[in-house]
Amino acid sequence: MTSRATRGRRVTATALGAAVALLLAGCGDDGGSGSSDDPIVVGISLPLTGDFSEPGKGVQRGYEAWAKITNDNGGLLGRQVELKILDDQSNADRVVADYEQLIGKDNVDIVVGPFSTRLVVPAARVAEEYGMLFVEPAGAAKEVFAQGFKNLFYAAPAVADDHYNHLAEYLLALPPGQRPTTVAYAAMDDPFAQGTAYGLKAKLEAGGVRTVVDEVYPPNTTDFGTIAAKIAASKADMVVGGSQYQDGVNLIVALQQLDYQPKLAAFSTAPTSPEFAAAIGNKTEGILAPTGYTQKASYPSNVEFVQKYTAQFGSPPEEDEANAYTTGQVVAAAVSAVGCAEQGECQQKLVDWIRGNKVETVVGPLTWDATGKPQGAHMIQQWVGGQIQIVLPTEAKEVDVVYPKPAW
Amino acid sequence: MPSGALLFQSVILGLLLGGLYALLAAGLTLYFGIMRVVMIAHSAFLILAAYLAWWSHARLGVDPLLSMVVTVPLFFGLGVLLQRLLLARLRPVTLTMMSVLLTFAIAVLIEGLLGYAFSGTQRRIQLGYGSASLGLFGARIAVVKLIAFGLAAVALLTLYLLLKRTRFGWALRATIQHPDAARLIGIDTDRIAGFGFGVGLATAAVGGTALALDTTIYPSLHWHWIGPLMAIIVVGGLGSVPGAAVAAMLLGLVQSLLQIPLGTTWAQTVFYLALFATLAFRPQGFFGGRLAQRF
Amino acid sequence: MPSASELPAAPRHRLGGLFRAVAILAVAAAVLSFPSWAPNPYILSAGVVVLNYAVLSTSWNFVGGFTGYISLGHGALAGLGGYATGLLVVRAGLPSFVALAAATLLVAAFAVPVGYAALRVRGASFVIVSIALVLILLLVFQSWASFTGGSRGLVVPRPFPGLLRPEHHRVFFYLFAALLAVALLVWWLVDRSRFGLGLKAIREDEDKAESLGTPTFGYKLVVFVVSAGFTGLAGGLYALWFGDLDPVFQFSILTGSYLVLMALLGGVRQLFGPLVGALVVGIGLEYFKVEFGNTPLHLAATGLLLALVVMFMPDGVLPALGALVDRFLRPAQSSIREVTAAELRDRGSGPPEGDRPADPPASVPVGAPDGRSAEERS
Repeated sequence: MTSRATRGRRVTATALGAAVALLLAGCGDDGGSGSSDDPIVVGISLPLTGDFSEPGKGVQRGYEAWAKITNDNGGLLGRQVELKILDDQSNADRVVADYEQLIGKDNVDIVVGPFSTRLVVPAARVAEEYGMLFVEPAGAAKEVFAQGFKNLFYAAPAVADDHYNHLAEYLLALPPGQRPTTVAYAAMDDPFAQGTAYGLKAKLEAGGVRTVVDEVYPPNTTDFGTIAAKIAASKADMVVGGSQYQDGVNLIVALQQLDYQPKLAAFSTAPTSPEFAAAIGNKTEGILAPTGYTQKASYPSNVEFVQKYTAQFGSPPEEDEANAYTTGQVVAAAVSAVGCAEQGECQQKLVDWIRGNKVETVVGPLTWDATGKPQGAHMIQQWVGGQIQIVLPTEAKEVDVVYPKPAW
Repeated sequence: MPSGALLFQSVILGLLLGGLYALLAAGLTLYFGIMRVVMIAHSAFLILAAYLAWWSHARLGVDPLLSMVVTVPLFFGLGVLLQRLLLARLRPVTLTMMSVLLTFAIAVLIEGLLGYAFSGTQRRIQLGYGSASLGLFGARIAVVKLIAFGLAAVALLTLYLLLKRTRFGWALRATIQHPDAARLIGIDTDRIAGFGFGVGLATAAVGGTALALDTTIYPSLHWHWIGPLMAIIVVGGLGSVPGAAVAAMLLGLVQSLLQIPLGTTWAQTVFYLALFATLAFRPQGFFGGRLAQRF
Repeated sequence: MPSASELPAAPRHRLGGLFRAVAILAVAAAVLSFPSWAPNPYILSAGVVVLNYAVLSTSWNFVGGFTGYISLGHGALAGLGGYATGLLVVRAGLPSFVALAAATLLVAAFAVPVGYAALRVRGASFVIVSIALVLILLLVFQSWASFTGGSRGLVVPRPFPGLLRPEHHRVFFYLFAALLAVALLVWWLVDRSRFGLGLKAIREDEDKAESLGTPTFGYKLVVFVVSAGFTGLAGGLYALWFGDLDPVFQFSILTGSYLVLMALLGGVRQLFGPLVGALVVGIGLEYFKVEFGNTPLHLAATGLLLALVVMFMPDGVLPALGALVDRFLRPAQSSIREVTAAELRDRGSGPPEGDRPADPPASVPVGAPDGRSAEERS
């Protein structure tokens, strides 16, 4: 067999080889940018695999639609827009490495945000520390705006806690006899999903509506039997789910299995998905959901977006796609107005411009406060007559709110 | 204070869940008995079977229960191959450690391939009777949960009869209890060990189908199962299939009841607390035979 | 048995030692000068990640290499170190590096009861506890949101708030390099000590070691606590560097499996084995990310690679390759310094060229037809 000395030598030699490999890996650097014929490179890290891959792909389609529509219209500042998309595997370590790579190595001109609140905060910190503008489509939880970021803007009408504002107003305006008196809340342990439910909870509790169940479940929960049993046993007038997609479906099915019939049921995200009705066996009647986007909105850019997106991908856009598109629109507005798009001083000009202006987007006109929080509210949709329709606010409604909701 | 109805409902849910735990823990016990192998990939195969059930329903329109016609023999074959081609070739000196590592690697591999084939999206079988339920003294029992429990119970009973009443079961028990003696009386222990692994993995196929009926599945779900299952086999003491079954029912029930005061997340910790407590104070487990001494 | 053949062997060793010292110095110089020739901050940050892996897998190797007990839960210990550091800074207001030291002690203290439960019985229960550790810590840190921040994450303030990001990377690169040097030095010292000898005896045959009077349980526990301490320290340093902690990523089973893969790949019996493994796997991960961006197969590849290493090269790929090279270049190599029991057994019973993976357990002479080892039956 081998002596220790030779073994050691061999290993150190291999270590040397590895170090050389590292050196070589470091040398493959891309050139800079800035010339007026170069495309404007927009760097994005998205969860294309892992836990957030489904919405991540929606966001990707939204960005791709934006790049295509922008380029078909002649590009930005006469330059074509080029996307550089990396996969962060739904992992915070990776998302940071991705933005380091995009900014430091690939030298992109603009960076925009990833998906999911959990990834937005670490990503935004990288952008902030390199002085880059950071417009993002998916960090809706209030924590995002409490980090002291100066370059961050959320490109959607409202943060999670404000999603149910119209519903809260509507319920509290009901005569005392009709108003729900008890509410059961169940929320996923996720800053966004919890934010929606707790935003409504705070407002209803302030209005004197009692909370009888307050459950938080981990994102990987698959069995909702016991949570549903608790909610059913409380006989609450109203159930509110702070849900993403599948957990909302599971909770509704578990509640139906227990034959629990509330007067009102509101769930975030899940009911707006195209597969929702089939997933819960078409027992959808009366379920409410907030939404920041509707394909039917008459804003000029939205008409163009829905039409061209449908032509490109074969089906109309959903909320994730629209948020990504909105992000693109915000960046485009700033770049056109300021007249530059590269790393360096330009970024601060872009930030200043967005801070001081209103941007017309597919989700309506957007403005932001000093923390980058948008100043709007979400619409409320309800399943009425087998399809999901806008019921609140009154000026935008398609049909009236159905309350109390029929049995499911 | 929770109402009586809620307690009763939780007890029923806990027992239904415990049935599935029991079936899966029985498979793990079997592997350990045969080869002292802690099969980390057991629950990954469980999720694989669940995916196959989901896939056959969603893509082929077949009732998920029918997918077992394929998955059970398939998993039996995989189990035999796994034992004969991989585990039996590890160096005996380091078998315990390396087999854990190898099955861990297989679990990660299955998870990765599932993610590649079906993406990380959560999936759920949409059955016409998905939200149907039966009433029992004021509690509601979902039909799908009842079917899942029935599947687990039938499989467990079959396994018990197979071990106790058949010639193969006799040979397998002999192999587990005293391999040298078994060889002396002419049992081909290698063959039997391979078949034992096949039977163990076939329980994962049944369990996976039962699981797919009523819960969401996603590739990394198996971590959610392997923790509780390992706790169950340690608490049960690794001696016998009945020991694992009792521990499974008990822990399933406790988990379900603890969810009422503690919520879903904290209730899961009961498994790990039971695991640490057992190892620290009674490493041989509470129902186990002599095998557990060397765990 | 002194013979003439030993005479030329001595200078060769001295030469080997010299070469070795030069090689180590060269590697150290390459590592230390890395920040000045790293072309951009991204490469520098990738370097920090790789060094972090190197420290973690070297720490892992205190348990894995000396005792042969394989832990899949060291990712959780690193996560715990990170959270302990972060929480001590955020909640207790300690200065960053005081918090780091305190966190290291906390993790080491935490490892005592865990090790007590896991190491009292022998074999698979240790692995099971190590996996359970990841799962339970994930549950606790996610659920105890009022204290840990839960899924909202925990933001650890920068220890040097004035530094620009590239400078921040540079400082932490040197800190990780220093930590790596300390970890390697301690491993080397243990390797040469009586303590290390006892640990290796446990690895080769725990029953025999025990019957010869080695306090096996105590030894195992001590080395586990040392390993946990280094792991916690590395995790804490990572937290100070990275800044954002999220339970899902801090307590990930994948981290632990990367560490095992790195150590096994490099060879658990060598001082520099885990370091080499970390360089290969760490650079490999980063390279594949840059080149192939969105491949969903990274998990499957990790699993496959781990399975291959376990099946065919349980002593490490690099030692296996080295042995192959040796056989061709120096067929008459004769100086035996340290031969493990397993190696001896292979040489004695298996085919002489050590063709061991193809050896079915049925042919093992100790009469274990089911592949159960002598160690476990006793």
